[in-house]
Formats: sequence, C-alpha cells, structure tokens
Amino acid sequence: MSSATWRNFFTYNKYAQITARAVRQSLKESERVVAEKRGTTALKYQQWENGVGGPQVHLNPEEVKSVGKSAAV
Amino acid sequence: MSVLRLLSSAARRAPSTFAQQRRGYAEVADKISLSLVLPHQAIFTSKDVVQVNVAAATGDMGILANHVPSIEALRPGMIEVIESGNASKKWFASGGFATVHPGNKLTINVIEAAPLESFSSEAVRANLQEALKVAAGNGSEEDKMEARIEADVYEALQHALGSK
Repeated sequence: MSSATWRNFFTYNKYAQITARAVRQSLKESERVVAEKRGTTALKYQQWENGVGGPQVHLNPEEVKSVGKSAAV
Repeated sequence: MSVLRLLSSAARRAPSTFAQQRRGYAEVADKISLSLVLPHQAIFTSKDVVQVNVAAATGDMGILANHVPSIEALRPGMIEVIESGNASKKWFASGGFATVHPGNKLTINVIEAAPLESFSSEAVRANLQEALKVAAGNGSEEDKMEARIEADVYEALQHALGSK
C-alpha cells in the first residue's frame, strides 16, 4: 500500500482484486492454471417489467462459454 | 571453575539469531491460536503457534501470544508462521487483514497466498517489466494506477523470493 493514492480511483475491493490477480499471475505454470479460474467472475441479469422479463444480458460474454450448468432460472 | 562452566553453558544456550526477530530464550509456553484463511482454502484453523510475522500496511510486525486486540490491514507481502522451536513456514499473500481477538486468537484473512516455492521468478520479472511500462506510458490515470499497484506487488514478491 505504498502508493495509497489508489484511493482516488478504486474501492478497497477493487484494490484487493488487483493485488490478488498480480499474485496469481506470478505463480508457477502448473499452479497458475488452477489459480486463474479463481479470478473469473460471470454475471448475467434480466430486467423485469409488468411481470414480463426482458432479455438476459451477460456482463462478461466471452467467459460465459466456460461456465458450467447454471441454477434453474 | 564451576563459574566458567556456567558462563560457557549459558553462552551456548543463548542463540545469536536476533536478526530473524525471534524470541530465543526459554521455550515459549504461551501460544496464540492462528487461523489463516483464504476464500478457497484454510491454511490453518485454530492452530496454536508461537509467533506470526506479517507485513502490515503500517509496518512489519510480529504477533506473539496474548497480543493486544488489534486490526491491521496487510500489504502484499510475506506471512511467516513459527509453530514451535525454530521451524518456520512462509507464504506470500496478496493482502488482507490480520485481526487479533481478545482471548488470544489471531485471524488472518487474505485473498491469495502461496508458499514461496510456488512462484516463478521469471514470471515475476516479466510481469514487473510490463507493469512498469504501462505505469510510465500514456494510458488513462486509472490504468496507470492499476499498473503501479501491480508493480508494487511484483517488487514485494521479488524481495521475498530474493531473501528466501
């Protein structure tokens, strides 16, 4: 936390994710593959109006293909 | 004669490893209960250990039994756990919090941590060069800040790997 000016740009959560990503990228090849999976997040949302659901939107479209079976929707 | 023998045996008992910041006189009777947890793994769960050295944002600190309750944010750095005697294990952690609870319990929560052997110094060097390049380039202030944070982590990693 030497350059604490990151507070002007990021929340602590974002800062922690950045340092975690840096640590993951420095692991040896064999462990890095497992660790990288921990860093991926996928989010999809759906807007509902008058009892009708809109289209489901993926926030990270390129990572969706690797996500497994999702909960019943 | 017996005085000389007493002096020499005392000298043999007192270790000269004070550079490692470790209490070295009598065998420690009090231990602190350590829980070192990551979101995906629990490295220690209420394990009695003698001393834990962490890299707090306000400075390096060593935590012994019956420490005053405190909450310390950790910077990306080493966590060293001394379970008993002189054996110590080291991990590099990406940052988190160390909390000493009343009742002689220490909880360290970090997001990513791995033993030093799991890191590759070539990867660290390459990552550091790339991060410094982005930090000195002409991207957005946010990207440069992100690169500077990463460069800090890589420099701390290099320091930890170098002084293994």
